[in-house]
Amino acid sequence: MIGYILRRLVSVAVTFIIVSLIIFFMMHAIPGGPFDANDMPVSQAVRDKMMANLGLDQPLWVQYTRYMWGVLHFDFGVPYQSPGETVTQLLSRAWVPSLVLGGLGVLIGAPLGILLGMAAALNRNTWIDYLASTVATLGLTIPVFVTSMLLILVFAVWLNWLPASGWGKPERWILPITAYALIPLATYARYTRSAMLDTLNKQFVTVLRAKGLSERRIVFQHVLRNSAIPLVTVFLPMFIGTATGSIFVEAMFRVPGLGAYFVSSIEGRDYPLEMALMLMITFMYCIAYLLSDIVYALINPRIRVGGEP
Amino acid sequence: MNSLLKIAGALAVATALTIPALAQTTVVAPGQSTSGTYMDYMKTVYDRATFAELLQIPIATFDKEFELTPMAAESWSQSEDGLTWTFKLRPGLVWSDGVPLTATDYVFALQRAATSGYDFAWYWDFAGGIKGWKEVTEGTADVSTLGLKAVDDLTIEVTTVAPKPYLPSVTSLWYPVPKHKVDELGDDWAVNVDSIVSSGPFEIESWEKSNNSVVFTKSDTYTGPWQAQIDRLEIDPTLGAPEVGLPAFLAGDADYSFLNTGQVPVATQRYPDGIRKNAVFATSYISYDLDSAPFNDVNVRRAFYYAVDRNELTSTVLKDIAIPAGSILPPGYPGYNADIAAEAVFDPAKAKQFMADAGFPNGEGFPEIEIWYREEGGYNSAIVPPMAQYLQAEFKEVLGVTMNIRVLPGAEWMDGLRTKKNNIFIAPYEYDYLDPSNFYGIFYNGGRHGYHIPEYDALVAKADSESDWDTRFKLYGEAEQIMIEQGLIVPLVHPVTIAVISDQLGGDAAQPNALGFTPLDRLAHYFFTHLTKQ
Repeated sequence: MIGYILRRLVSVAVTFIIVSLIIFFMMHAIPGGPFDANDMPVSQAVRDKMMANLGLDQPLWVQYTRYMWGVLHFDFGVPYQSPGETVTQLLSRAWVPSLVLGGLGVLIGAPLGILLGMAAALNRNTWIDYLASTVATLGLTIPVFVTSMLLILVFAVWLNWLPASGWGKPERWILPITAYALIPLATYARYTRSAMLDTLNKQFVTVLRAKGLSERRIVFQHVLRNSAIPLVTVFLPMFIGTATGSIFVEAMFRVPGLGAYFVSSIEGRDYPLEMALMLMITFMYCIAYLLSDIVYALINPRIRVGGEP
Repeated sequence: MNSLLKIAGALAVATALTIPALAQTTVVAPGQSTSGTYMDYMKTVYDRATFAELLQIPIATFDKEFELTPMAAESWSQSEDGLTWTFKLRPGLVWSDGVPLTATDYVFALQRAATSGYDFAWYWDFAGGIKGWKEVTEGTADVSTLGLKAVDDLTIEVTTVAPKPYLPSVTSLWYPVPKHKVDELGDDWAVNVDSIVSSGPFEIESWEKSNNSVVFTKSDTYTGPWQAQIDRLEIDPTLGAPEVGLPAFLAGDADYSFLNTGQVPVATQRYPDGIRKNAVFATSYISYDLDSAPFNDVNVRRAFYYAVDRNELTSTVLKDIAIPAGSILPPGYPGYNADIAAEAVFDPAKAKQFMADAGFPNGEGFPEIEIWYREEGGYNSAIVPPMAQYLQAEFKEVLGVTMNIRVLPGAEWMDGLRTKKNNIFIAPYEYDYLDPSNFYGIFYNGGRHGYHIPEYDALVAKADSESDWDTRFKLYGEAEQIMIEQGLIVPLVHPVTIAVISDQLGGDAAQPNALGFTPLDRLAHYFFTHLTKQ
């Protein structure tokens, strides 16, 4: 197992370097520079000066090497769009709201989704199943900015129960967390339902029933555990996707989170921040899949690492 | 016990009495850009922090009737040869840390801008025409050769390369930079709230960098004209999109919000007295690469000029969030010439004739083209995309031309325009200062589009330095006539913004001007200092 983890860590490092190269050169291949989104073109002399100020007058490979050397020392540079702080400071500041809202959204949405999916699977083709499927389908198909808008309209504008948007006081968190939670809820409801149905139809369940086990023990101890693999596969990537912020939810609810930086760093050609964000995501996904693989082995001993019997 | 109760009672009464006296008026306003780098207009204009300019006092600025009003300057005068302007500053102005504000801070602001890669440097070249500006920004001359001088603490002398009769209005974008702070901290004086000092009617209290929202408070140290009438001003760019701003406004979280086309009827019905319109001094136009086929043929360009039904465009597709544009200058803007604007008519027959003259009868043999527009925020986001689709249909119907549409991020669009990566663009432009030379300057001598039309350049250069207004007006008219004859642009529309404001807002700033428009925060200094709240 330890050998396996070590091998995987080496592959993470290789992935990391390859991704950094791809991102860096793609980023610089996009036409325009950090100073072109103006109403009037910047003259060549002024442009040269700005580029030199940011070290962009150096050849690309020099810029890349410098940047990656910094990364090795956990120095991700200074973001062009926020020169008073380092990229690391920016990330640790902006990530907090995203992590709180997105993280809580997943932690609330996923268990609810599992329960909903279980209820649907156990009551197949009844109104419970139809209701759960409808909720799940709507949750997945309605874009999050529409649900956000509906939540604001109903709970803030019409009922006046909650603030429309903003950040700070916990009552302002309720609506964005709800908007966030709908996605894991819907995803999990669908996955759980189909995985449970699949397991319920297996012969060992019939055997368990013939043995006279209570339905509750069958469901929670045997069926759910045997259906857990797809749920684990989905969980960590979904957690990363949500906890790094959603540009839509954050924009609709005016949350000062990380989401908007994914777009603004590309649009503004904010190379240091864009690199840092992409490397961070890459790293998180690599680790997430590694963890998922370890968890598979733990919950299902039939899965052996490295193809050993 | 009894006396304790009495004391408690007296305290309660005292508290109750002081609360109304301490109650602060706070206005919550939408901002524009959710990211900003420096709280310093003279360091960067396009990436500046939210309303950085509101913290500083310009030499002069505009009121809601677009009259130029002295701010830091008390008076100004032009030398006889027209080349030198002398600005006399108001005595008693100070920075918020108590250091006196002097002519040196203004001169330093521009000296630094000329040498440090200022993204608005072009303005001080073509609008300001400051002597030596071009040479200093290009690094071929020393900063001491700039035509700027702090004669004494209260006198600034500006020398221009040619007479600039409109220089005072150019100074509406001239803000001071605290030299004493830059000497101490460099450019970083403007990145932290603790080190930012102000000279204008507001001071900074906080700045949330994640969304570029700021809280300003009424300055205690400002002695100039236009004192703030509200205590606190919260400007939040995340309220800038009407889709977010209006729900927040309805829930009482914002004092005004801009509206998109779909929201206008709802808001008008609920707040009939709260609707404010503003004709922005801006123009959207079609621009070409004049060097490559098919737009190197003037007949093709003129065909496009006559193929747009602007009235139908604005009244149907755009639902009156824009008015037809016949000229590069918007109505009400100085130098606007109604006769020239009237030439831009929809004439399908003429358009077809020009196409035939160019060798493309009914569009036969005309290559497929692709019009590029840039992703827009603010008012343009509701105008440009539907307009592009309208033009697509219109050019197909009238000219037989197949036109595709491509939307690009701002940087790529500008790169395409600048380096001629495409041959046809939708280009919006909003004024920077109130003089016709502003709009004509974007086509002058390479300008924004990288082409040179010698006759046009000669007329604009002459008009720019002409002191007599009637002669200037005539010369600019002749220059625009050349634009029309050469089909340089197709003027399309001038945007109109619509906002809804709370009935708690009052003051001169909340009321329309003589033209019936309310410029709101487009005139930030006037607006936020002439606004009151109940």
